[in-house]
Amino acid sequence: MAIIENPLELEAGDEVAQVAEKPLGVLTRPQGSTGWQSWLFTVDHKRIGIMYGVFAMFFFLIGGLEALAIRLQLAVPNGKILSPETYNQVFTMHGVTMIFLVIMPLAAAFANYLLPLQLGARDVAFPRMNALSLWVFVAGGFFLCSSLFIGGWFENVPNGGWFNYAPNSGTLFSPTKGIDFYAVGLQILGIASLVSAINLIVTCLNMRAEGMTLMKMPVLTWMLLVVQFLLLFALPVITVALFLLMFDRLWGANFFNVEMGADPLLWQHLFWIFGHPEVYILILPSFGIISEVIPVFSRKPIFGYSFMVASGIAIGFLGWGVWAHHMFVSGLGPISVAAFSVSTMFIAVPTGVKILNWVATMWGGRIQLTTAMLFAIGVVSMFTIGGLSGVTHSVAAADTQQTDTYYIVAHFHYVIFGGALLGIFSGFYFWWPKMFGYKLNEKWGKWNFWLQIVGFNLTFGPMHILGLQGMSRRIDSYDPGYGFELWNMVSSIGAFVIFTGVAIFFVNIYVSQKQAKHLPPVGPDPWDARSLEWMTASPTPEHNFDEEIVVEYQDHFWHQKWAEEEDGRVVRIAYAEDIAHDGSATDVHLPSPSYWPLVLASGLPFIGYGIIYNYWLCAIGGFLTLGAIFGWIFEHPDDPDAAHGHHDDHGDDGDSDHGTPDSDTVDTDADDAELVTASTDAGEASNG
Amino acid sequence: MTSVRNLSAVTKEGPENLAEEPSPRHTRGMRLRRLPLALAAGSALLLSACAGDAELDTLEPRGPEAETIDNLIDPLFLISFVVFFIILGLSAGVAIKNRVKGEYEDDDWPTQTHGNAKAEWAWTAVPFFGMAFIGVLTVFAVIDLNSEEANAYAVEVDGETMQWEPHVVVVGHQWWWEYRYYFDGFDVDAFLDEDHANPAKHLPPADIVTSGQMIIPAGQEIELSITSRDVIHSHWIPALNGKRDAVPGRIHPWKLEADAPGYYFGQCTEFCGLSHARMRMQTIAMNDSDFAEWVDQQTTPATLSDEDAAFIAALRAGDNPSPANSVQQGLVNIRQLCSACHLVEGVNHFDDVPEDSVDNIYKEANVGVSLRAGAAPNLTHFASRSTFAGGIFNLYNEDGSLNRNKLEAWLRNPAALKANDADNLQGMPNLGLSEDQIDDIVAALETFGTRPSATVIAETFAE
Amino acid sequence: MAEAVLDAAGHDNHGDPHAVVHKTNTGVSNNKLAMWVFLGSECLLFGGLISTYLLYRTNTQGGPEPSEEFFDIPFTSASSFVLLMSSLTMVLAHSAAGKGDIRKLKIWLLSTALLGSVFVAGQIYEFTVFVREGLGWSTSPFSSAFYALTGFHGVHVTIGIIMLLSTFISAMRGRMHPGNAETVEIVGLYWHFVDIVWVFIFTVIYLAA
Repeated sequence: MAIIENPLELEAGDEVAQVAEKPLGVLTRPQGSTGWQSWLFTVDHKRIGIMYGVFAMFFFLIGGLEALAIRLQLAVPNGKILSPETYNQVFTMHGVTMIFLVIMPLAAAFANYLLPLQLGARDVAFPRMNALSLWVFVAGGFFLCSSLFIGGWFENVPNGGWFNYAPNSGTLFSPTKGIDFYAVGLQILGIASLVSAINLIVTCLNMRAEGMTLMKMPVLTWMLLVVQFLLLFALPVITVALFLLMFDRLWGANFFNVEMGADPLLWQHLFWIFGHPEVYILILPSFGIISEVIPVFSRKPIFGYSFMVASGIAIGFLGWGVWAHHMFVSGLGPISVAAFSVSTMFIAVPTGVKILNWVATMWGGRIQLTTAMLFAIGVVSMFTIGGLSGVTHSVAAADTQQTDTYYIVAHFHYVIFGGALLGIFSGFYFWWPKMFGYKLNEKWGKWNFWLQIVGFNLTFGPMHILGLQGMSRRIDSYDPGYGFELWNMVSSIGAFVIFTGVAIFFVNIYVSQKQAKHLPPVGPDPWDARSLEWMTASPTPEHNFDEEIVVEYQDHFWHQKWAEEEDGRVVRIAYAEDIAHDGSATDVHLPSPSYWPLVLASGLPFIGYGIIYNYWLCAIGGFLTLGAIFGWIFEHPDDPDAAHGHHDDHGDDGDSDHGTPDSDTVDTDADDAELVTASTDAGEASNG
Repeated sequence: MTSVRNLSAVTKEGPENLAEEPSPRHTRGMRLRRLPLALAAGSALLLSACAGDAELDTLEPRGPEAETIDNLIDPLFLISFVVFFIILGLSAGVAIKNRVKGEYEDDDWPTQTHGNAKAEWAWTAVPFFGMAFIGVLTVFAVIDLNSEEANAYAVEVDGETMQWEPHVVVVGHQWWWEYRYYFDGFDVDAFLDEDHANPAKHLPPADIVTSGQMIIPAGQEIELSITSRDVIHSHWIPALNGKRDAVPGRIHPWKLEADAPGYYFGQCTEFCGLSHARMRMQTIAMNDSDFAEWVDQQTTPATLSDEDAAFIAALRAGDNPSPANSVQQGLVNIRQLCSACHLVEGVNHFDDVPEDSVDNIYKEANVGVSLRAGAAPNLTHFASRSTFAGGIFNLYNEDGSLNRNKLEAWLRNPAALKANDADNLQGMPNLGLSEDQIDDIVAALETFGTRPSATVIAETFAE
Repeated sequence: MAEAVLDAAGHDNHGDPHAVVHKTNTGVSNNKLAMWVFLGSECLLFGGLISTYLLYRTNTQGGPEPSEEFFDIPFTSASSFVLLMSSLTMVLAHSAAGKGDIRKLKIWLLSTALLGSVFVAGQIYEFTVFVREGLGWSTSPFSSAFYALTGFHGVHVTIGIIMLLSTFISAMRGRMHPGNAETVEIVGLYWHFVDIVWVFIFTVIYLAA
């Protein structure tokens, strides 16, 4: 992977000269700096982050409608809204959508937008790769969702659950194309996540501002880094599982075919070796987000920074040693069960540390109950429920009663909704002004929060009881007489309350945007926050920072505004408006947009459909993908005339904004490295 | 929840046999157990709702294994609630107490605490040791649940007394459960050494094969060997023990025991495809004499009248006897139409059963050996069970009469009552039976086996 | 950034207009770090495949078994030797690139690619023999796992060959110079990784037979 686009400032004069002297590219790079082109072909990590968010919210609506359909079906005994087959498809797609197309990309949205900013970097290490991750995710998402209507409505939808246990996932028991869509779709999404993980790891390790040591990185950045490592190591395992499944289904291999002596537990092991770290992939970004929000609205630094970081890393490590707790009733021997039971319990330790540190951060603080803060407190309390119910089924003996009942459904919704999603909403309210230049309305925000938290508890709280009363998971209906009626009805009502809450969020965006026209601009730092992203204008200028930042402290930006006296008093030393960058620098060289990430990604669904339906489609997809790789290789390393309208008028003050004396030289020869890169990409594309 | 009662398997003993005293440990447990749930919603409403009739309640143990689990989890629920309310109280309390309304002032800064190593180590250590303690208890419970108790139980089969180590082979099918009893023992290891690709399709003939309802003697630890013939299922009788997956290609040991005679509901809990929701089972624990009687009935090959037996013999001899009544016509129909999948000893359990298309579908699908007579529930003692179609429909009405409407509807079009994909060998196909054929088959089915007792029939109704 | 500014090969090439200078916190260039990180991920990919193979090694369902009689150990040893030798030529190519000896760089790159191709050809030949002897893709869990593992490795070698040839072509076009010797090093990292994986696979499949 090469960085043609070294996102650090360059002497534009030099560069023009060099490009002129070495006309490398056979194709020009996209020119549009406004309108739709500026989004489709962008390599700007902020626009990519926002698009991750937009697409994820679109899929969130789809997944949410699926959830409502499930709750309508289960509201009363013997529900008739969905047929059993449709129900199985809907709950499968609900899980797959929410996990792979909503929570993961929403975390990616924050990671893309914030991680370079919090590091004080201009962009990620590989901007075009970053665009590729986005578009591959979008391609994979639409590919998966297209299963809803391809070959007829609800004909070829995955129907084996997100966990998709063999041998039920084999062609013998699931003869539609649905599970092929699952196997291929998740592989496409895996490519996106893997590319993104490599990119962000390198960014984190290599692109930090001067003085930004690892132990000065914000907790969010730390958690995101841990998540990228989890992705890096977890994705290949699910890739293997998906390949084996695809080989079985499409080409008659025998990995999960019991009639040929295969062992179905192979799938479970591979799936959960991925699947358990996946849980932390979903939750850790949210832990990071609220670790940023709580200090700001408590007016205190995060309590026990090093413990917060260490516990995040510990969760990441321990996450690899507990996968079999999903398999306590799968027929492992008692020794494995006991060992995994105990190892699972110890995950509670670093998690407990985090929860108590958040509380300790608030302790004695001056607390402003903004919507962002409310959501963050929501995470602390709701995730605690999810964590504690997790402890109750880490007790393997108890798990034999609880697993595969609604108790588990309650548990992981308290973790994923109560933990991850509420944290993401906290992040929305917190960083909205940074991303879009206006705050979300607090009044609507409070409605959003309270409806969502009340609806959430109404929906998922009763599921604990249903589970303990013996209601199995994944059943499309239940008979009267088992004591399930009342709480299912309550739960279904709660689902609509959640829906209202989420709808209010969208209303809030609309209202706030309208109101913002009559309000003064929010300025760089509306919350009196602590980390570097607040040190530049809102919305963030394309080049992030006008000059390179030299970091001295953890919470560097805060320390520029405030000083701690010896007696512990905090006094102002500067106003944010005075020290934050105003975004006026005009001579910052940025990577040019590119067509090829989008084109490359667009080839993948064709390959996917081709594998499932007709190999000729693979040829089309392969043509697009390979063509894009060639385009990628041969396009201009940079196009100084494109994308930066302000390029010409900087001659007078050109050098003054260059903070560091040893600015980079131009990497005009990167095309060769790029050639290699592209081949590697092809490898990834074909190998997962 | 079903109260603990003595069930009489046969008709001669009436409901006066019911013993209505739950053992003392249950009463104690129940009060304690309700407490956390009450806290969960923080309302008395919850308390009353939970007290309702949850047939599958996991917190009402009725056997030692379930009791072991319950004793472990109850205190943990309590601790969890305390911890939760501490965290909720702290976070909400601090948020409310320290709340600042409006914008921050410049001098509005609290003490800037960056951390406190002692406190942090403390709240690392406390959960660590707490978890270690729970871990030790868990390990003991896991060992306990996986240990086998060697015991022998005398069973009389064909006048011969056998020492049976109570054991049942449990086979999951899409979407029903099969229970096989081997009174002279079933050596799992030796069987697995035969190295069949899908062992569940090669199980040796058993003394008793029944489905949907597992009958056990009360007060005996029953070893289970759980496997599956197709996809993964999970066998779960919450009142008696936790669940264990039925995985094709593997045979998993598990056990359960009922303290007292009673009727215990269960549900398949591993997603197993289309009709996962409609794959249920019940365990009926009987006192020793009832169990002995049940074994006696079930081990008698067919429960046919002498005339019907003679009629079958004539059919087998190729004499083309004409059916004297509806039952005999039903027997003819069953032999012709049902034999591909269902086995009825004394009716079609012979070599001359005709090949059938359903069987061939299995062959075409390359699923291994012929599935003839074994792919579907054994019907030899069909009428002795109180449920059918995977434990989901009651075979008898509350007044004890045959649930004729349901049974006929089932024969008319099974998929209309229970989702299936018979073309793909999942579930019972619609055989396109005429109303006459259905009537005759029902008439014959009604003669297969001795009716369960009125008590069992009454307990069948979930309420 | 306080860290030293180095080019990939560690040479002092200030003043060289072709110098590739990346300013990074770790001192390792982004490209190289990305390759390391990617290879970390690949370890788990092959880990999964090798585990699958180990699980199904004896599950032959009456088909051919992984035995000395079935495998042609001398043949595979020879082709393994060829692959290992290609690591040597890869090292020579890298060293030539570092010294700026473009002629030798081209020779060694091409040799590495050729040795790799010989290995892949040997694999394909071996597969045809196995199929003729009755070990089809669908014969048994063992056969599926065997072909999946060796096939995935073969695809990786093939991709490596394409990378080598791409680098070779760019050297032919005069694009290689000491400043981007790192390109060769990154290709080399991948190539050595693929070789090391083969050592594991060879041990697990052939030597353990």
